[in-house]
Amino acid sequence: MDKINSGISRRRFLATTGTGALTVSAVAVGVPGTGVQNTPAQAQAARPNTTITKNICAQCPARCGIDVYTTNGRVHAIYGDVGNPIANGKGCPKMHLGTYFLYDPDRFKGPMKRTNPNKGRNEDPGFVPISWDEAFDTVAARLNDLRDRGESHRFAHFYGRGWGPTDAGLYGDWGKLYGTPNAAIGHASMCAEGSKRAKRATDGNDSYNSYDYANTNYILNFGASFLEAFRPYNYLMQMWGKMRSKSPQTRITSIDVRMNPTMAASDRAVYIKPATDGAMALAVAHVILTEGLWDREFVGDFADGRNHFVTGQPIETAVMPEPVTDPETGEVTQAAPEGSGFVELWTHGMARWWNEELKDRTPEWAESVTDVPASTIRAVAREFGTTRPAMAIMERGPTSHTNGTYAGMAIHALNALVGSLYAEKGGLFYQMGVPYGGLPVNADDYMDDWAKNGAWKNYPRIDKARTEEWPMASHMMQEAGPNHLKGDPYKMDTAMFYYTNPIWTAPNPQVWEEALKDVFIIETSPFPSETAMYADIIMPEHTYLERWQDSPTYPFEGWPMTALRVPGVEPIYDTKHFGDMLIEIGKRINGPMGDYYREIDNVENVLRHRAKGFEANPGDNGVNSFESWAEKGVWYKKPYHWHHRRGKFYEWDGEGYNVEMTPEDVKAKLLKTPSGKFEFVSGYLEGHAAYIERELGVSADRVGLIQWVPPVHTGGGGDLHFVSPKTPLHAEGRSGNIPHGIAIHQPIVGGKNTVFLEVHPDTARARGIRDGDRVRITSDVGSIEAYCRFMPGHRRDTIVLPMEHGHWAHGRWARGRLPGHSGDVTANVSDPISGLASYYTGKVKLERV
Amino acid sequence: MTKWGMVIDLDKCTGCQACTTACAMENNTLPGENWQDVLYYSEGSYPTAKLTWLPRPCMQCENPSCVAVCPTRATYKDMDAGGIVFVDWNKCIGCKYCMIACPYGVRFYADEKPVVEPDVRDVFPGTGQLHAPPYQGPHDDAVRGIGIQPKGVVSKCTFCYHKVSQAPAGVADLDEDNPETKEFTPACVRTCPPKARYFGDLDNPESEVNRLIADQRGVRLKDHTGNRPQVYYLGSGADVPAYQPPKKS
Repeated sequence: MDKINSGISRRRFLATTGTGALTVSAVAVGVPGTGVQNTPAQAQAARPNTTITKNICAQCPARCGIDVYTTNGRVHAIYGDVGNPIANGKGCPKMHLGTYFLYDPDRFKGPMKRTNPNKGRNEDPGFVPISWDEAFDTVAARLNDLRDRGESHRFAHFYGRGWGPTDAGLYGDWGKLYGTPNAAIGHASMCAEGSKRAKRATDGNDSYNSYDYANTNYILNFGASFLEAFRPYNYLMQMWGKMRSKSPQTRITSIDVRMNPTMAASDRAVYIKPATDGAMALAVAHVILTEGLWDREFVGDFADGRNHFVTGQPIETAVMPEPVTDPETGEVTQAAPEGSGFVELWTHGMARWWNEELKDRTPEWAESVTDVPASTIRAVAREFGTTRPAMAIMERGPTSHTNGTYAGMAIHALNALVGSLYAEKGGLFYQMGVPYGGLPVNADDYMDDWAKNGAWKNYPRIDKARTEEWPMASHMMQEAGPNHLKGDPYKMDTAMFYYTNPIWTAPNPQVWEEALKDVFIIETSPFPSETAMYADIIMPEHTYLERWQDSPTYPFEGWPMTALRVPGVEPIYDTKHFGDMLIEIGKRINGPMGDYYREIDNVENVLRHRAKGFEANPGDNGVNSFESWAEKGVWYKKPYHWHHRRGKFYEWDGEGYNVEMTPEDVKAKLLKTPSGKFEFVSGYLEGHAAYIERELGVSADRVGLIQWVPPVHTGGGGDLHFVSPKTPLHAEGRSGNIPHGIAIHQPIVGGKNTVFLEVHPDTARARGIRDGDRVRITSDVGSIEAYCRFMPGHRRDTIVLPMEHGHWAHGRWARGRLPGHSGDVTANVSDPISGLASYYTGKVKLERV
Repeated sequence: MTKWGMVIDLDKCTGCQACTTACAMENNTLPGENWQDVLYYSEGSYPTAKLTWLPRPCMQCENPSCVAVCPTRATYKDMDAGGIVFVDWNKCIGCKYCMIACPYGVRFYADEKPVVEPDVRDVFPGTGQLHAPPYQGPHDDAVRGIGIQPKGVVSKCTFCYHKVSQAPAGVADLDEDNPETKEFTPACVRTCPPKARYFGDLDNPESEVNRLIADQRGVRLKDHTGNRPQVYYLGSGADVPAYQPPKKS
C-alpha cells in the first residue's frame, strides 16, 4: 500500500482546513473496526472528557493496578495506579501497550462456529457468525447429551491465567455439579510448579513465597530472572531501585546459565552449567555449616557450643535427657543435653542430611558438577552466610529440569540455614487469603444423583495428575493432549479453553496438533490462536479493559489484597465475560445445576457478594463495599500476621506481634510439614518413596534427603544446551502480535522486528556460522530455523532463543515471523515430583542453513 | 525562567524499556521510532562479559547543533517552554540535516520502510491524518511536533511538553509520586519502576534535580561537543562505550 497516497497529504490537508495545524484535532478520529467516530479533542485542552477507570493489567501474572485513560469513549493511555501497592503508579514496558489488546484488528468480533470439519495447520476453519444463544445452546446440548450417556467425565476445562472468583474460581462448583474430574486442568505444570513443590517438600507450603525485599540486605538469586520475567516484575524493579539506593545497599549475586540484564546489574554474576543449581546450593550450605555461619536461633546448635561440621566427618544428634518432674511442685524441667550432638530448634533432619549428603558436598565437588569455581562458591557462601537479612530466591531456571524439585529444595534450605523464613525483617513468607463474602447459594444443595455418585467419579483426570502416574503434581496439562491421542485413560469428547493455547505453548506441541483433531473445542479468547484454529465454537470474551473482574494477589508481601477490573469502555464487539459463559452454559444444563446457575445469575452478582466480605473487614484504603472497591480499584489490609524473631514465632494480636506461638500453632499455620519444622529430610517425599525411586532412581531410603540428583537432558544427543527465556516484553499470549513490543523485544542483541538466537561467537564459528546467519536448531522432536546473533556473554555450551515467535495463527503481525517456535524442539519431559515441564533441559544440534 | 532538566540514575536503571513504551504510547510514535530508546552495549566475553545499557531521550541541549543546521528554522529551542527543542511540523521539509548534526542520535524520520510489518499506518488508516493508531492521545500541536505526525517530517522527544506545559507555574520538580504533579510529569519519568528518572527545573536551586546533580556528580554526555545537554546522568554506568560498527562477516 502506498502510504504517500493512502492518506491525505499534509500540505493538501492544511490547505483544505485552511487554518493551520492547531485545528488538526478538529478532524474526527475513528477507531478502526469499532464503527465509532469520536468527537474531536481540543489541542492543548485540559481533557475535560477524560475519565480514569481502575483496572488490572493482564499481560503477566503480576496483577498491577492500572489507571485507564478514556477520552470520548476511546482508551488511549494506561499508567500504573498510584493507589495499588504492586504498581505504585509505575509500569513495566508491557503495561502501556494495553490499547493494542483492546483495538487489536485481529480480534474475534462475536461468537462463531466452524463449518470445515477438517482440522489442521493448513485447514481454514470456515468460521461463520452465530448468536450467543446458538453458541450456548449448542454447547449445552452437547454437554447434556454427554451427561445423559454417562460420559460427563469426557468434558474438560483447560485454563491458563485464571484471575479469581469470577473465572477460575467458578470451575470447582461447575465440575462438581456437572460431574467431571476435568474441571479444571490448569497450566501450572507448564508454568512454575517446581518452586511450589520444593517449598511443599521442605516447609509444607505448596505455594510461591512472599518476600520482604525492601528490608533484605542480600539476595542470592538462582535463575529467577529478577529484572526480566520474575513476578511481579514491575514491583521487583521498584524494589531494585530501593535496594540499590538504600543504606546499606542490598548486595545481589545472580546465578544463571546466560548473560542477561539481571546478571549484568548484579554485584556478582555467576555462570552455571544448566540444571546444576542444586549442586551449588548444597555446596553453599556445606560452607555455611563448616564455617559456622548458620542461624543458631532458627536451626539450633551443637550441645557443647562448638562447631562439629567438618568436611567428611559425621555429626551426632543430641540425645535429650529425660524431663525431670519435681515431685512436690509437679514442675517439669528439661535439662540441656550433654556431649557434642546437634540440637535442632525449627528444623528437622540436620544430622541425617549432613551425614548422608552434605558432608561431602564441598565447593570442589560442586565445581566439578557446575563449572562454578570453588573459590566463587566459597565467596558467595561467606557473603550470604554473614549478611543478615539474606534470602535465596529461585524460579524456573533451576526447576525446569528433571531434578528441579530437589534443586529447589537445596536452594530453599539456604533460607532455613540463615533464618530468613518468616524473619521479622527481610524474610520470606506466604500469602494470606482475602475475606470474601460467600455466594448466595451453596452448590452442595444443587447436586443431583449423577453429581453425587455418578460413574464419573471413577475416572481419573485426562492429564492423570494426582494419579499413580503423577502423584504429587497438581496439574499436568502437557500430558492431556498426548493422553487423549493414546486414549489413555480415555478419549475426551469436548474441551473448553480459557487463557491457554496448548497447541502452541505445550512442549512438543506437534503432538497436540494431532491430538485435538477429534475433540469438540470451545475457545474463549478474544484473539486468534493456534488452539482457536481447532475450535468448533468460538466464544470470544471481553478484553481486560472491557470487563469486571476481581483478582486476589499472587504471593506478594503476605498481607491480603485483591484488585478489581472496571471496564474502561463498553465492550466494543459482541463479546462476553468468560465467567458469564460458564454461568450461561450452567443455566442450560438439565436438573438442579441449571437452578444453581440461575441463582448465581451473572458475574457482577458474584462480585457484589464477594465484596460483602469487606463490610466487616474494611481495607486500609477505606474500601468496604463493591462501589468503593470499584472506585479505588483495590482492597488490602496490612500487616502480615506472623513472624519469627530470635528463635520464637509470634502472631499479630491487632496491635503488635505479641502472641508467642506454640509449636502446634506454628505447625498448623506456618511450617506445615509432618514434623512442624523445616525439613532437611522431607516427610512429604518419603510418603512417595517407591514412586521417586522408580522415576528418579533415588533409593527409597534416601528420597527424603535434600540432595544432588543428576539431570536427564532431553533432545537426543545434541551438544548444546537450549534455553528459551521470556523477555520483559513477553505479554502472555499476545506479544507475538503487538507491533511496539516486536520492535524492541530483544535489545540485548538488537532484536528489533524479531528475536534472534543468541550464540557465543566461538560456538558459532566452530560450525561455520557467521553473525546474522540463518541457522537450524534440531532436537529429536523437531527442527526450527532462526537468525543467529553473536552474544559473547553467554556460555559456549548454551544457546538462547526467547520464547516468542513462530506462531502460525496468532494475528497479522505474528504471521510468518522467524524464528521458529522454541516449543517445537522441546521434548515433553517433566520433573516427576512437581510435574513441571522441563522446558530448559533440552540439548540440540546447531547448523548453518 | 524555567529550564526543564532530566536526571537519569544508571545505577538504578534496569534497562526494561518501560520509558520507551510509555513514551511511544503518549506521543503516538511508530514501532521502533523510539524517542526514548534504551541502547544495550556488550563488551568482553564469557565468563567476564559486561552488559550495559543507556536510556537516551533528546538531551534538549542548551546549545543544540540541530537548530543551527535547519534550513527552514523548523527546529527551534523555545526558551519560553523551559528550553525544550521542538520541530515545527508545518515548516519541516524532512531534509534530515538535523539528524546528522545531532551528536546523540535522538531524531527520527519515520517515513521509510517500517521497522515492523505490516505497517501500523496501513492497518490503522486515519481520516484526515496519516493514520489513527489505537493509542492516539487527544493532544495535537504540530508547531511543537506533538500529535500524529504528517508525512515527511522529522520527529523527536518533546519532554512531553503537552503534559509539562500544564504544570503549576514555578514548580521546582515534576515528581510522579506527588499527586499534585503526577499528571504533568513526562511519561518516561512517571512510569520508571526503579525511579531512575527525575524531572525538574534546572534554573531553580531548590529543585531535586539540581540536588542530585550536585550530590551525585551528574554528568552530561559528550560534553566536549559544547551542546550542553539539559539531561544529566548519575551512576557508574555513565561511561558510555564508544560506538563500534558491527564487523562484516
